[in-house]
Amino acid sequence: MIPLSHFMIISAALFCIGLFAVLTKRNAIQILIGIEFMINAAILNFVAAGRFDRVAGGGQMFALFAIVLAAAGVAVALAIILNVYKHFRTINPDKIDTLKN
Amino acid sequence: MNHLLSFLVFLPLVAALVIILLPSGFRDRFKHIALGTSLIQFFVSVFIYLNFNNSAAFAGVNKESQFQFVEKMAWIRLDLGSIGKLEIDYLLGIDGFSMPFLVLSSLIMFVATLASWEIKANLKAFFALLLLLNTAVMGVFCALDFFLFYIFYELMLLPLYFLIGMWGGVRREYAAMKFFLYTLFGSVFMLLVIIGLYFSVLNPATGNHTFNMILMMDPGSYLGSSVFSSVAPQSLLGISARLLGFIVLFVAFAIKVPIVPLHTWLPDAHVEAPTPVSIILAGLLLKVGGYGILRICYSIFPDAAIQSAWWIGLIGVVSILYGALNALAQSDLKRLIAYSSVSHMGFVLLGIASGTAEGVSGAVLQMISHGGLSAMLFFLVGMLYNRVHDREIANFRGLALVMPQYTAFVVIAFFASLGLPGFSAFMAEAFSLIGAFTSQEVNGLLPRWMAICGSVGILLSAAYFLWTLQRMYFGQTRLKGGDKWLQQLKDVNTNEKFALVPLAILAVLLGIFPSLVFSKMNASVLAFIQLISG
Amino acid sequence: MDFLTFSANTLCLLSLIALVFPFSSFLVILQLKKSQGATISIFNISVSLIASLLVFINVWNSTTLQQQVEWFQVGTVSISAGILLNNLSVLMMVLVSAISLLVHIYSISYMKGDENIYKYWAYLGLFCFSMMGLVISDSLLLIYMFWELVGMSSYLLIGFWFTKDAASQAAKKAFIMNRIGDLGFLTGLMIIYSQFGTFDIGRLFNVGGLVDSASIINGFWISESASVPVIWLTIAGLAFFIGAMTKSAQFPLHTWLPDAMQGPTSVSSLIHAATMVAAGVFLLGRVYPLFDSIALNTITVVGVFTAFMAATIALTQNDIKRILAYSTISQLGFMIAAMGIGAYGESIFHLATHAFFKCLLFLAAGSVIHQLHHYKEHHSLEFNHQDIRLMGGLRKQMPIAFITMCIAAAALAGLPFTSGFLSKDAILITSFEWAEGYHGFKKLVPFVLVLTSWLTVFYIGRLIFKVFFGKSNYKGVKDAPWPMTRILLILAFFSLFPLFSVNPLSYDNSWLLQGFVPAGVKPFDIFHLLVPIIVTGISAIIVLISYKLYGGTATKQLPENGLLYRFSNRAWYLDRVYDLLFVRSITALSIISHKFDTLIVDGLVNSLAGLARIISDIIHWFDRHVVDGLVNGIASLASKTGDFARQFQTGKLQHYLITMLTLVVTFFIITYLI
Repeated sequence: MIPLSHFMIISAALFCIGLFAVLTKRNAIQILIGIEFMINAAILNFVAAGRFDRVAGGGQMFALFAIVLAAAGVAVALAIILNVYKHFRTINPDKIDTLKN
Repeated sequence: MNHLLSFLVFLPLVAALVIILLPSGFRDRFKHIALGTSLIQFFVSVFIYLNFNNSAAFAGVNKESQFQFVEKMAWIRLDLGSIGKLEIDYLLGIDGFSMPFLVLSSLIMFVATLASWEIKANLKAFFALLLLLNTAVMGVFCALDFFLFYIFYELMLLPLYFLIGMWGGVRREYAAMKFFLYTLFGSVFMLLVIIGLYFSVLNPATGNHTFNMILMMDPGSYLGSSVFSSVAPQSLLGISARLLGFIVLFVAFAIKVPIVPLHTWLPDAHVEAPTPVSIILAGLLLKVGGYGILRICYSIFPDAAIQSAWWIGLIGVVSILYGALNALAQSDLKRLIAYSSVSHMGFVLLGIASGTAEGVSGAVLQMISHGGLSAMLFFLVGMLYNRVHDREIANFRGLALVMPQYTAFVVIAFFASLGLPGFSAFMAEAFSLIGAFTSQEVNGLLPRWMAICGSVGILLSAAYFLWTLQRMYFGQTRLKGGDKWLQQLKDVNTNEKFALVPLAILAVLLGIFPSLVFSKMNASVLAFIQLISG
Repeated sequence: MDFLTFSANTLCLLSLIALVFPFSSFLVILQLKKSQGATISIFNISVSLIASLLVFINVWNSTTLQQQVEWFQVGTVSISAGILLNNLSVLMMVLVSAISLLVHIYSISYMKGDENIYKYWAYLGLFCFSMMGLVISDSLLLIYMFWELVGMSSYLLIGFWFTKDAASQAAKKAFIMNRIGDLGFLTGLMIIYSQFGTFDIGRLFNVGGLVDSASIINGFWISESASVPVIWLTIAGLAFFIGAMTKSAQFPLHTWLPDAMQGPTSVSSLIHAATMVAAGVFLLGRVYPLFDSIALNTITVVGVFTAFMAATIALTQNDIKRILAYSTISQLGFMIAAMGIGAYGESIFHLATHAFFKCLLFLAAGSVIHQLHHYKEHHSLEFNHQDIRLMGGLRKQMPIAFITMCIAAAALAGLPFTSGFLSKDAILITSFEWAEGYHGFKKLVPFVLVLTSWLTVFYIGRLIFKVFFGKSNYKGVKDAPWPMTRILLILAFFSLFPLFSVNPLSYDNSWLLQGFVPAGVKPFDIFHLLVPIIVTGISAIIVLISYKLYGGTATKQLPENGLLYRFSNRAWYLDRVYDLLFVRSITALSIISHKFDTLIVDGLVNSLAGLARIISDIIHWFDRHVVDGLVNGIASLASKTGDFARQFQTGKLQHYLITMLTLVVTFFIITYLI
């Protein structure tokens, strides 16, 4: 049987990769992908932890719920990115610094 | 009739407002407005003089009911909680001491306005300030409420500061500042004493603290435990509080008089001031000092006054001699006259310090007389200065040939000032000295040598005036400016005669009929003597 | 003579007329300017003289009149003004107005052509007014007022030619020196007032008056109202005497009188010889009861000394007017000394006779000066027309001046048949009688007086002989015009004995003296015989000697460089001494006090102001750098922090995320570590 720690390591690695992408990429789409990585790392943790709740299957339930939410989030995010692109003619987050003023 | 004094005091203020509101197109009319105002004031004051009751029942001094032309209104009533109620009255009234000064003030103001004909710059401000000053001076002589008095007293400073500082000579700012600081120095401490007095005195009618001067003169209205109580004497800084209060008030007024050694603002202010302001300074401002000493220092603190009489007499004698000696050394005619003022005002102090009827009468007459004469002297100097812009004695010689009428007026003014009998200064100085001399016999306040030393001042005044006369007016004509000056030195014109003749007449009239002043104030003098001798 | 007898009110009115008319000429002439001066003033002074004469006739030896009104009131004391007419004042009235009238008439031609002549008349009017006022006033205060007014008119007249420096300086000197005397007078007034509370001469000095009834007990001088140490009585007497000393030019306050000769000669004659200088003697007469023995002794000594000193100075002067001036001082010394020894009447007597003959001397000298001045201008020469060394031989050219001057000189010298003989004898004899009762220095008094009178004879002889005898330097000089010479003749008559006494050789019967000294009181003693004979005899010898010395055509030159000569010629160096002692020291004192004023007193004020400025500068620095620095420091700290924090506000999403991450990680690390 594969021990829980392996899942944890994998999901941590996934999370870090996602985080790295979010922090470093110059493209909003890539950042979005990074976010998906991080969500999936979380879902993996849910599923792995679901082994300890066989009666109610809470882990599986939350994983499914999170997948649906992530899909919706991605849809919304993509729509935002589309609008941002329309507005700024770019999706490079470095160039969008209206928050500063 | 009931508001004659208010009319006298505030008429110039109204005129000043009129001048301010009039457009500058009327700038040539301003002087006429000012002149008209002072003329009206003069007639009103003469009317007051003629209607003044000089019987003993109207002596005034320390009895409010005996004052004349009284106007009394509640002015400020402010509830101060636990301290009581602030009670400031609008209280005007005159007695034998203040009435002569009203006549003098209006006359001097008239002359000063005539002397302002030469002022060319910024007429609107000048005449407005002059009229404001007029209001303040009149107010000082009428006010019987100490708070009101203080307001008028301080109000005099402001116009004077600007009049000297803006229309004065080369070092005008220095002089104006010096004058301002000197007087302010005195009056700030005066304010402390006023407040102390306020908290010491109760108005028996209302039970409130009061600023009423006349109540302050009554030992009965002092609170037993108050600072200036005369019943249970307090002490401050190791000396009697009443003595301290007296000294502070005395210094405040003595700066105005001025006494030696607080006199150095005077020569500077006079030399830098324009002629009309010099006239007012010498003619009225100095008198405010003397009047204040009589009306306030002596009347409110008679006990302390008696205690310090010796010193006041000494200051008087020193002022007489020191001022005269300094006058002898001056090379600037205006400075000479300024120092002679110091000397002549010394007689006032000596007379007052004597505490005798003769001395006090002489002192008041001396103030009136010197008011007219110093105005005349400064006017004469101003005439010379206007013509050639020079006042150095050494630069003139033999003016009698160039300006005979002018010289005649100078001779009159000089001889009157040096105390020639037949002119007012003689009567005044003689009685100040006689008072000082009899003092030892009557009340033991002043030693006899003071009067004798003081009389040496009369000798010195003859010396400096006659020396000046000889150097500037007699001899062959020799002027520094040569023919140019000869052209410019025109003799007296009509306008100037209008100013000089009344002053000369005043000097002669008071010299021959001193009763014109004496009779009006005799009752007050006696009441005053009664008051200070307890 | 009933129609000349008037009631008291009329008399007072008349004396007021005598007083006011001259004053009106002063006022009117100054108004009119340049025209009619002479007519008006001569008319007015004539009225004054007539009024005075009428008053004189009524009052002399018959009554004493005093009328007064309240003048003003000071405190409880009422000061009155009024007229006091007694023998002394009516005599002075007549004397003043008569001599004034004569001098007025004389002046018409003497002052002719002066461009400011109207002022001259006006000032003369003022003088007569003040002199009249002085003699008829009944109050010491009024006397003091007129006293100074007399000084003022004297000032104006001495400085009449004000373009001359010497004249204006002399005028100033005269007034200021007289002021010293005025101080004395004023001190006397103060003492009298504080002692008796009045200035009224009648109440003070009448028999049984206030001064009379004041007593001296245990060293205190006690009046009704006051009591002071008796020294004040002496001081009062001396104070009045100082007043008299200046007006009557007594040593040491006499130096103004010779300088006063800078005025027109007619003025010198009227004011500085006949009338004003007698005011001092008059004052002594008025306050006579006040003097105690110390004061009287002082008066005697000063008078005698002055008489002697001035006579010695007159010996060597060369200016004709200066000689006369010193002789005036000397004669005034006689009068003062007479007052001192109690010869009140004799003193007044001498005053009256002296007024006429000294006036004459001056006017005669004036006529000489006038003629020489014209001669000088006519020939455009340049010489001092008042120097007697340059004169000579005028006897034949100016006979009237010569004769009248001789009479006046004889009177001055006290030769018989003149008025001066009577009055001088009176003083000398009285002084011998007085000295009888004393020992010590008082014995000397009569002898010094006699010596002085011999000196007088010598110097006046020198003057006459130098001017009128010898060789004449100026051809064609004639006597002055008739309007002037007639005055000389009138005065010459008045200088002879008949006006004063029927007996030319004895003063005892003089009506004038009897007006002051009750007749027949004094016994006839040996002095009445000896003194006139000896004094006159030696005087005659001295006249001869001086004729020998100065009268000949070839005058012998006396040595003019001896110590005594210089001492006398320079007037005992008194002017020099005064200049050093008083004028310079007072000037120096005034300069010192001025320096003191500007450096110390004003310096103190300015350095106080400077100190205040320094303090305020320090406070300003403190305020700016410390207090304000603190406030600014806090503010800048905030702003620095803000600046620092702002660096994080890039507006870039990823930067925020990094920040968040860092913070979360840091947070975790910190929690882990703790």
